[in-house]
Amino acid sequence: MLARPIAGTLILLFPAAALGAEAGDAARGERAFQRCYSCHSVDPNEAAKLQGPSLYRIMGRQAAAIPDFAYSDAMREKGAAGLVWDAANLERYIADPESVVAGTSMSAPPLRDEQERTDLIAYLALSGRYRP
Amino acid sequence: MRCLPMVLAALAVASASAHTQESKYYELPKGDYPHDVAVGPSGEVWYAGQNLGIAGRLNPASGEIERISLGKKSAPHGVIVGPDGAPWFTDGGQNAIVRVDPATKEVKVWPLPAERMPYTNLNTAAFDGKGRIWFTGQNGIYGRLNPTAGDMKVWDAPKGRGPYGITGTPKGDIWFVSLAGSYLANVDLETGTATVYEPPTKDQGARRVWSDSKGRLWISEWNSGNVSAYDPIDKSWKKWKLPGEKPRTYAVWVAPDDKVWLSEWAANAIVRFDPATEKFESFPSNRPNSDVRQMLGRKGETWIAESGTERIRVIRHAVRTN
Repeated sequence: MLARPIAGTLILLFPAAALGAEAGDAARGERAFQRCYSCHSVDPNEAAKLQGPSLYRIMGRQAAAIPDFAYSDAMREKGAAGLVWDAANLERYIADPESVVAGTSMSAPPLRDEQERTDLIAYLALSGRYRP
Repeated sequence: MRCLPMVLAALAVASASAHTQESKYYELPKGDYPHDVAVGPSGEVWYAGQNLGIAGRLNPASGEIERISLGKKSAPHGVIVGPDGAPWFTDGGQNAIVRVDPATKEVKVWPLPAERMPYTNLNTAAFDGKGRIWFTGQNGIYGRLNPTAGDMKVWDAPKGRGPYGITGTPKGDIWFVSLAGSYLANVDLETGTATVYEPPTKDQGARRVWSDSKGRLWISEWNSGNVSAYDPIDKSWKKWKLPGEKPRTYAVWVAPDDKVWLSEWAANAIVRFDPATEKFESFPSNRPNSDVRQMLGRKGETWIAESGTERIRVIRHAVRTN
C-alpha cells in the first residue's frame, strides 16, 4: 500500500529541520508519507480528485499558490502574507498545523516524531524545488 | 493507561430557532480536538481526542469529563458505541481498532496487519448484525474485525484511496462511501466484496453516510454541497443542494425519526433536512469555524463534535412525526 516511489534511497540534509534528529532519509520518508497519502500526491500526473493540494515540488512554493485549488481562507491569508514552504516551515507545520496556520482545513494530527518529520521532508524534496 | 478527571465548563445555552430546540455547548480541555463523537445507551458521551490520543468521556448531567489514554502513538479519528455499550475507536495513529471498557477502562487494541499496510489512515467504523466491526481506511482499504475470535480481514477498496464514512443498516448490512472515489459501496458480509453505486453527481465527494430506519442511505457530499439518498429497494437516487451560495456538506447522521442532520461548513451550521417536506432548517454555531466533522445522537438529541472550537455541542429537540 505504499505510494509509488519517486526515487530510491537518496539521503538529503536539512539543517533547519533536523534540529537534533538524524539527516532526513527519503526512503523512510516515503513510508511516513503514508500519513499524507489519502489527501496529497507527489505525482505530477495525479488523476485522483484529492482533498489536499499536490505536494509535487512543494519546496520553495508559496502557501496557497495552486490557482484552482480550494484552500481555506486561513491558508490563503498566510500565503498572501508571504509564507513559503521551505524545510523549516514544513517542519513546523507538520509538527503542529494549527500553530502555523490557525484555521487550516488540514485535519491531520500533529506528527510528533521529529525524525519522522525530517524523513518526510526529505522525501517531499525529491521532486525538486517549486518552479512557477 | 491514565485517567484524568476534568471539571467541565458547560457554556451558553442558546435557543436555535424555536422553543422546541435547545443548544448546549461543553468546553473541552484545550488540545483535545474532538474529531468524532458518539452517545451511548445510558446517555454518556464519548469523543475521539485525535491530537492527544485520548478517549474522552462526558457525563452530560454532571458535566464531568474523563480522559483515557489510548496509547503512545494513538490518534483516534472515529468513535462509535457498539452493541456491547462500549466505545470503539478507529485509531489512525496506532493503525488499529481500539475498544475501551466503560467500567474498567481497559484499553484493548487490534492492530491491522503491519507488514502489508503500516498506515492506512483509519477513518470510521460500523457494526454489522453479527457483532463484527467494519472499518474504512482512507489510504484505500476497508476491513472487518470479529472481536470475539480476534479475526481481522482487510480488502483493497475500489478505485484506491478515499474510503471514509461507513454505516450499518437496521438489517445489519454495511455500506461505505469514498471521498476521493466519489462512490457508495455495499459490502458482502461474508466474502467482503464491495459493489459500487455511483451517485448522480460526478465527483461529488461522498464523505459520510448514514442509514435511516428503512435502510435508505443518506450521503453528505463535500464537493457538491449536496445531500443525496440511495434506496436499495428500488435502486433510486435523490439529491438536494443545501442552502447557501457554495455549501460544503461534511457530516451526516439520521435520527430515529428519520430527519437528516448535516454539518455545513460554509455557513458554520448544523442543518436539519426533513425528507417529507424537503425543507432545511439551520442551527448555526455560536462561534466561528466550528468545523464539525461528525455527529451522532439518539432520540431527541443530536451530539456534535466541534473540532474547530474544541467543544461538544448537543441540540435537544422535540421528536417530530409526520
